[in-house]
Amino acid sequence: MAMMTYDDVQVGSEGPERRHVLTRTDLVKYAGASGDFNPMHHDEILAKAAGMPSVFGHGMFSMGLLSAALTDWVGPGRVVKVAVRFSKQTWPGETLVSRVVVTGKREEEGRRFVDVDCTLANADGEGKVVGTATLEPA
Amino acid sequence: MAVDRSVIGKSTGRTKVVIERGPVAVFAEAVKDSSAIYRDPGAAEAAGLHGMPVPPTYPAVMSHWGAFPEQQPEASGDAGSGAGEVLGPLLAAGGLLLHGEQAFEYHRPVVVGDVLVGEGKVADAYEKQAGSGTLTFIVMDTIWRDEATSEPVVTARMNLIVRT
Repeated sequence: MAMMTYDDVQVGSEGPERRHVLTRTDLVKYAGASGDFNPMHHDEILAKAAGMPSVFGHGMFSMGLLSAALTDWVGPGRVVKVAVRFSKQTWPGETLVSRVVVTGKREEEGRRFVDVDCTLANADGEGKVVGTATLEPA
Repeated sequence: MAVDRSVIGKSTGRTKVVIERGPVAVFAEAVKDSSAIYRDPGAAEAAGLHGMPVPPTYPAVMSHWGAFPEQQPEASGDAGSGAGEVLGPLLAAGGLLLHGEQAFEYHRPVVVGDVLVGEGKVADAYEKQAGSGTLTFIVMDTIWRDEATSEPVVTARMNLIVRT
């Protein structure tokens, strides 16, 4: 899909979907890249001992993946604001699917912003990360 | 136990960070973003940016990668105490810590080479009853400023929840 332009998007326009099957390797990489070594995210033995079915994803990994869906559309360096709520845990083997939908367009002080709703859900539609963002297309 | 609302406004600390090219590329890889703009200065310039930007959630890890001990500002009197006053006793009592919400608001893009100073404070603290338990919410804002100009660059807002 082409990069977002202010003139081409309308309320209801949808960005390119990201679809990713979560792996334990993703969580090990994110632990190393973030410094978050909470064992619930990489140590299956400890996670099961704590009553979890398996390790589960870092919320910030999910937000990172959803943010990558935003920059896929508007381009890196052009997300002005992103705000999310973490509603459910993510589990290895789940397919995580992004959805980005335009909710508004506005011009302020010579800058042009596109507001969107953004969601990361599993294949059954269970929302994992739900939020809003403001984008500033080139 | 009612939440101690006197913590609102207290400092959660002051941190100086350096934004470096290697960690930004490692982080982009970890969030599955293969864009050349995070890796190649030429690609960033061609995209009309004044430097190589960082992925939107990079401020969450800036301190992990770029806070060097010898560069840290002098601690002020109550630095770092705000959030711990609320969270510490709850966690010591066996409370479960959850990351409820997260936001980043950019006043300009963060780019490789930036030196930023972050000042955190407790923005809100409140609790709600949920069934037989209590949810304690603590909201922390960190404003990251360009060290050279003192202009705000990015504001991070984190909402933590302790379930007791």
